[in-house]
Amino acid sequence: MDSENNVIVEYREVTKKFGNFTANDSISLKIYGNTIHSVIGENGAGKSTLMKILFGIYSQDGGELIVKGKPVKFKSPLEAISDNIGMLHQHFELIEDFTIFENVILGSEITNTGVIETKDTRKRIIDLIDKYKLGLDIDNKISEVSISEKQKVEILKLLFRNSEILIFDEPTSVLSPVEVDEFFKIIRMFKAEGKTIILITHKLNEIKELADRVSVLRKGKLVYEVNSNELDLEVLSREIIGPMEVTHLTDERAGTDYDSELLLSFDSVSVKKDNVLKLNGISFHVSSGEVYGICGVEGNGQSEIVDTIIGALKISAGSLKLNTGDVSLVPDDRIGKGMIKEFNIGENVLLREKNVTHFTKKNIKETSEKVISEYDVRLSDSLSPLASLSGGNQQKVIFGRETGLDNKMMVLVHPTRGVDINSSAFIYKIIIEQRNKNKGILLISSDLEEILKLSDRIGVIFKGRISQEYPKSDFTFSNDEDKHNFMVKVGKAMIGIE
Amino acid sequence: MIESILSLTFLAQVLRMFTPYYLGASAANFSERGGVINIAIEGFMIISAFGYAFFTLTFGNPFLSVFMTLILATAFSFLYALLTIKLKINQIVTGVGFNLLMAGTAKFLMMFVYQSSSNTPAIQPIPGISLLNSIPVIGKAAGDYIIIFAFVLIFLSQFILFRTRFGLRLRSVGENPEAAETLGIKVRLYKLYGVLICGVLSSLGGMWLASNQSSFSDGMIAGRGYIAIAAMIIGKWKPVNIFFACLMFAFFEGLEITLQISGSFLPTQIVQMLPYVITILVLIGFIGKTSPPAADGVPY
Ligand SMILES: Nc1ncnc2c1ncn2[C@@H]1O[C@H](COP(=O)(O)OP(=O)(O)OP(=O)(O)O)[C@@H](O)[C@H]1O
Ligand SMILES: [Mg+2]
Repeated sequence: MDSENNVIVEYREVTKKFGNFTANDSISLKIYGNTIHSVIGENGAGKSTLMKILFGIYSQDGGELIVKGKPVKFKSPLEAISDNIGMLHQHFELIEDFTIFENVILGSEITNTGVIETKDTRKRIIDLIDKYKLGLDIDNKISEVSISEKQKVEILKLLFRNSEILIFDEPTSVLSPVEVDEFFKIIRMFKAEGKTIILITHKLNEIKELADRVSVLRKGKLVYEVNSNELDLEVLSREIIGPMEVTHLTDERAGTDYDSELLLSFDSVSVKKDNVLKLNGISFHVSSGEVYGICGVEGNGQSEIVDTIIGALKISAGSLKLNTGDVSLVPDDRIGKGMIKEFNIGENVLLREKNVTHFTKKNIKETSEKVISEYDVRLSDSLSPLASLSGGNQQKVIFGRETGLDNKMMVLVHPTRGVDINSSAFIYKIIIEQRNKNKGILLISSDLEEILKLSDRIGVIFKGRISQEYPKSDFTFSNDEDKHNFMVKVGKAMIGIE
Repeated sequence: MIESILSLTFLAQVLRMFTPYYLGASAANFSERGGVINIAIEGFMIISAFGYAFFTLTFGNPFLSVFMTLILATAFSFLYALLTIKLKINQIVTGVGFNLLMAGTAKFLMMFVYQSSSNTPAIQPIPGISLLNSIPVIGKAAGDYIIIFAFVLIFLSQFILFRTRFGLRLRSVGENPEAAETLGIKVRLYKLYGVLICGVLSSLGGMWLASNQSSFSDGMIAGRGYIAIAAMIIGKWKPVNIFFACLMFAFFEGLEITLQISGSFLPTQIVQMLPYVITILVLIGFIGKTSPPAADGVPY
């Protein structure tokens, strides 16, 4: 694997700057053909930027990029695509109003004097769907399909373009455990076919399971590299964080010496969306001083629970009680629902505060800086629009804003999606602190580890209702085997077996 | 009165009224499908109607004049594209500016060249297909190149937008330019194409009006450019639906003229209001929420 002539991509002292800010600082990195190469690092370390250079979205300010032996400087993704490079972006790049078929062919259409050839192309796409067991209907519109299906469409786009070098930017952060397994199978199939895979992730277990080689970025620099046979996760996590203090999750839970009051209750609630029953007589409640965790495969009613709480969906049967004023919400779609991406941090925070009637430049700046320091947001300039922040840093801003509101009830959907390990631990700490302050927290996540770590009670959602509910005593484990067995049990409940 | 509506004369009337609406509405649609709002359809029609009159009066040859007017409109489209796509100036402001500029220029030149504030001397219309022109009553409409083209355009634009590579890419740029860019599509180039097609189609609409009236007169476009935009919205940016919306406007305009001629019991003002009242009712009652291309009007 390490033989020099097997190098398929090489960065030589590549530097990329945004204004005065150096996102990639003289990075030299080799990627070997037909391997799974993982790139890891904190939020804002420069991972996505480095990959966007390879894919022709940015071009480097200094250094050389060598692909398949020849120096390149891609001016657009088109040039990268024609060199058989494909990228699955951290945020989907799909056209909601187009069908899957249209999204897949866009930019690489097969045409006959300008007219799109459909018959053979459709067959080719359907064959790809069958071969990789993607289970998609190519005539569905993107606006009608689930998140994991959207991701499969992105994968299909890469396959359709015969990509040989596949860049995946945090592909699993939107998937539930079952879907992650499916995704791993697809990745392994790619490798077996001779493709090269670059995988960006924050999850150490994924690296352990898949990667042949790992590179660690920290603050724009390449700081550590290791092959899978010498991989030690302890060492790896220290290299990721650097000489910084590791946030430890305190399991200190204050005894509830307050009176616990009922904050939210769903009583046999049914909700229809576009005439399809999405919540089917669901019942659960959240009291103050507890974290109620809902886990399940995406699309089983999670987003409808949130939309019902905030009043965006009407209840068709049952009753919903909300015994509190405003609710803090970290939504699933942080760009679409959580923020105004053209605004800076301060503006996004002040916008949500009820009592603020006017802003000054000064208090916008102060508010931005407060969130930046409290939540360790890494960005190029304190007044940059949120759109220019790295994915994990955007998430920290939204989480920070919502906790700052100090509402009695919080609804957190995937609170650490795309957030690096150390910041995740920090967010966990704050969630526990909030709970200890007698807040009621509804936690919705597809990450089972996260649910187990934080929840006082767990409900499994399946087809619009809570199919199983477990009290804390069921998931306080004395050994790893118990934990494993419990996770298998819950995993099965999530897909409706048992 | 019913007889006068059911007559062939009325049908020919509707076909004629339909033509500038459909050309204007398709023009606006091509631009907006690429994500550029162009409310200057009215202005493009005015300058093209004047341009055709000017060129025929100067050179005499109608087909040469059509060609020259198209070049004129294309030059203005390039300017519009430069301002809105390259320099990213607000599209509504630019559109309003163009409307004022084009109406003013036409009026100024009319004064300057023909010493009249109301109309140019009589001009040669664009000749039709003589074989079809000889059909009784509807012949004039049936043999008219531009009217025929307007009807062909229904299928042509449907085909271009939904069956060709060009159409797919144009729509992608109007829906999600970032995504299109990651697939290697030259976003600004496609936006330019949309704006150019818009200029050409609206120009044909303007020329047709001048040719049909055998002169250019001040105020002759009479808001048709704006009604065309309304028709595009009612038609939800879809060629076939836009056809029905334009047909509706043409029907009511034809009705208005017929009622005026046959001396109806309704005051003319009420009759003239009809198309607009109907628009509002249709928007409230039947169409519901319309959603434009997702990145319509957003500079990229
Ligand atoms: N277009 C841009 N303009 C200005 N700054 C930018 C831009 N893109 C990225 N940055 C900055 O560069 C840094 C690196 O961003 P990048 O997206 O590469 O991080 P990342 O390692 O992918 O992080 P994450 O794990 O959160 O996705 C961040 O501090 C970000 O704010
Ligand atoms: Mg990133």
